[in-house]
Amino acid sequence: MSCNRLELSGEVVALEVLRHTPAGIPVLSLTIRHASIQIEAGMKRQAECEVPAMAMGELTKKAQTLNLGDKVKVAGFLVRKSLKNDRLVLHLNELETE
Amino acid sequence: MSILRVALDVPLDTLFDYLDAGHQAEVGMRVLVPFGRRQMVGVVLEIVEQSQLDNDALKPVLEVYGGEPTLSSEILRLLNFCADYYHYPLGQIVMSVLPGRLREARLALLEKILGYRLSELARQASLEVLPKRALIQRRLWLALEKQGSLTAENLGETSDNWHTAIKAMQAAGWVECVELKHVIPSAPSAIARPALNEDQAAAVEAVTRQLTGFKAWLLHGITGSGKTEVYMRLLESALAAPEAQVLVLVPEINLTPQLQARFKARFPHEPMVALHSQMSDGERLRNWRQAESGLARIVIGTRLSVFTPIPNLKLVVVDEEHDGSYKQQDGMRYSARDVAVVRAKQAGIPIVLGSATPSLETWHNSQAGRYALLTLGQRAVAQSQLPDIITLDARTPQLKDGLTPALINALHDRLAKGEQSLLFINRRGYSPVLLCSACAWVAPCERCSSRLVVHLRQRRLKCHHCGHEERIHVQCPNCGNPDLHPTGHGTQRLEATLAELFPEARVLRVDRDSTRRKGALEDMMAEVHGRRVDILVGTQMLAKGHDFPNLTLVGIIDTDSALFSPDFRAAERLFAQLMQVAGRAGRAEKPGEVLIQTAFPDHVLFEALKRHDYAAFATTLLQERKTAMFPPYCFQALLRAEAQKFEPVRDFIAEAANIAYGLDGAVMVYDPVRPTMARLNGMERAQLLVQAEHRQALQAFLKQWMGMLRSLPLAAKVRWSLDVDPLEI
Repeated sequence: MSCNRLELSGEVVALEVLRHTPAGIPVLSLTIRHASIQIEAGMKRQAECEVPAMAMGELTKKAQTLNLGDKVKVAGFLVRKSLKNDRLVLHLNELETE
Repeated sequence: MSILRVALDVPLDTLFDYLDAGHQAEVGMRVLVPFGRRQMVGVVLEIVEQSQLDNDALKPVLEVYGGEPTLSSEILRLLNFCADYYHYPLGQIVMSVLPGRLREARLALLEKILGYRLSELARQASLEVLPKRALIQRRLWLALEKQGSLTAENLGETSDNWHTAIKAMQAAGWVECVELKHVIPSAPSAIARPALNEDQAAAVEAVTRQLTGFKAWLLHGITGSGKTEVYMRLLESALAAPEAQVLVLVPEINLTPQLQARFKARFPHEPMVALHSQMSDGERLRNWRQAESGLARIVIGTRLSVFTPIPNLKLVVVDEEHDGSYKQQDGMRYSARDVAVVRAKQAGIPIVLGSATPSLETWHNSQAGRYALLTLGQRAVAQSQLPDIITLDARTPQLKDGLTPALINALHDRLAKGEQSLLFINRRGYSPVLLCSACAWVAPCERCSSRLVVHLRQRRLKCHHCGHEERIHVQCPNCGNPDLHPTGHGTQRLEATLAELFPEARVLRVDRDSTRRKGALEDMMAEVHGRRVDILVGTQMLAKGHDFPNLTLVGIIDTDSALFSPDFRAAERLFAQLMQVAGRAGRAEKPGEVLIQTAFPDHVLFEALKRHDYAAFATTLLQERKTAMFPPYCFQALLRAEAQKFEPVRDFIAEAANIAYGLDGAVMVYDPVRPTMARLNGMERAQLLVQAEHRQALQAFLKQWMGMLRSLPLAAKVRWSLDVDPLEI
């Protein structure tokens, strides 16, 4: 199975300065704080997390209009930060402001 | 009928016999001969009565370029030595040392030197015939009146716009064009000689006392100790003899104009020519002919000028004798310094090798008494002190884009004081590696065993070994990740970092990329001298020769790779380089400071550097070399081979090793290996090192070995070469 998709809504709590890859593709890193109620083992519970995310290419245009505190709904796939760093980063395919 | 034995540019270790066909040929003359289906230019090296071949098999020469100066027997003797010592075909040597024009199939007489003089008409008129506002014309008129006739070069010294002015004067009939016999030295009077300090005086005296007969001197002078002044005093003494000529070798073309300017100021009346590979063919031939005819009294040039015929040569100076540029890295792999010593010996004249950090070979020779040591231990300008050298531990988490806080503070301090700083980083480009952090892929050169260097502004990757270039990858070709990381620091990245840290500072980057345009380096140096630059970022280009009076801080970034290199000469080279860079700080009355960032702040090399103690460091290194039986305690030769496929290379080197094992036991034969750069420019490479304790033993072995290698069938399938006294293994 090759499935890797995560949908998430939350609040933008960090926005980095726009940078470019060596080949010139724009990259914008941001952090999304998520908080919701989810069902687990048939019971309600709180789900909270801060997810590092990044937008690349065209999507950075939309991402650049974001402000801290904006509510967003995003979708994308997860990739570890680097070989040396196991932390997951959400790479965005979709970005909507609510 | 005589047989001419001719040197041709053919990779065969032999001369070629031709019938003279009634031409009056002499040894050293150029001839045109048929060779296969081609015609080639060669030089007659011998004239004999009988060929070893059947006379019927010989062809006649097509042309003899009589009337030209012949190649002198002194030079032919030197070239013969080189052929023997470097085991390179004599014909190829002879043809490679000739200026390009002399390799062409036409008569190459001395080019006419054209000059200008006032016409008869003008001499009877007065300056007042010129319009009052024609200032340049008036200046030229006065100069011509004073000097008689002047060349374009002389006139250029009077005004940059001389050409338009002289054309106008010519049209008006005031000036006429004439042919001159020789170049006229420029008019200004010599600038005063500065007083010598004690060490300089002693050195000058010692050499001057023995200006006749061969003697090799090592002039070891710390940076800023006034070696050039010593050279000039020696030139003065040598040139006092009528018709005497001198040869001065410099390691880099960039350094020629600078030294030339200093010599010109001191010896305005001595004809001087420069010789290097970046001059036009015509200019080179003209300068060569002037040296050859004895007209030029000072010949200054890079390594190839060591082969210039100079009939009345009385003194040879080799500046920065340790410099690797003296070693030719292709064709005949000679060391111009070593050839210069042989030349001085053959000519029976003194040679002065100068350096702040002599090569260990030369130092060893001076310690053994073969070369006489002259030491300049004080700086020439009495107030100027040697800079303080401090190491900074680079293993700190506070590193800001590769710069330590201490270095950043020091830069701030100089900026505040209005003084200049130099950051030395021996890597051009933005960063040496393009890395994919997701899968550890690194951008490789497809043609070399090397990595491509990121040149960010042009969005290109370049191989600094073979010149290959490509666009920066949009994504990692291995895993698809677009977010690739330039890793490590080069000059361009440092420049960007500095611009960010010191937005008010004027930063100038000096490396091979920024100085590509002709004259760019000169312009940049003028900017620095005009104090229109605060921070210089540069590679080893900046290390040599340039004096910056207002420069008081030198920061050295990332030299650690050279501390632990597999090359046994790396430490020697690094020390020389750092000493040289350090010498850029505080050349005038302002004290300098040198900060070295390193992960090994207590390394012995830095300890010696801090004390400015070359002698102690050389002693330590020599001890190590002796223990390991490395040069100068042994003599080496390196056989290199390359081809597009590895197999024939491997077989050829293996075969060569087998032959070597079977020869004389006085020579040690290492195992065949692949060099660090196993692949270069699309060629697979391998090499074999041999060494012996005695030069003669090695030479005898090489003679035999080379003869056998040349006849190997595999030898025709690979490109191979022998490097005697290799510098890089």
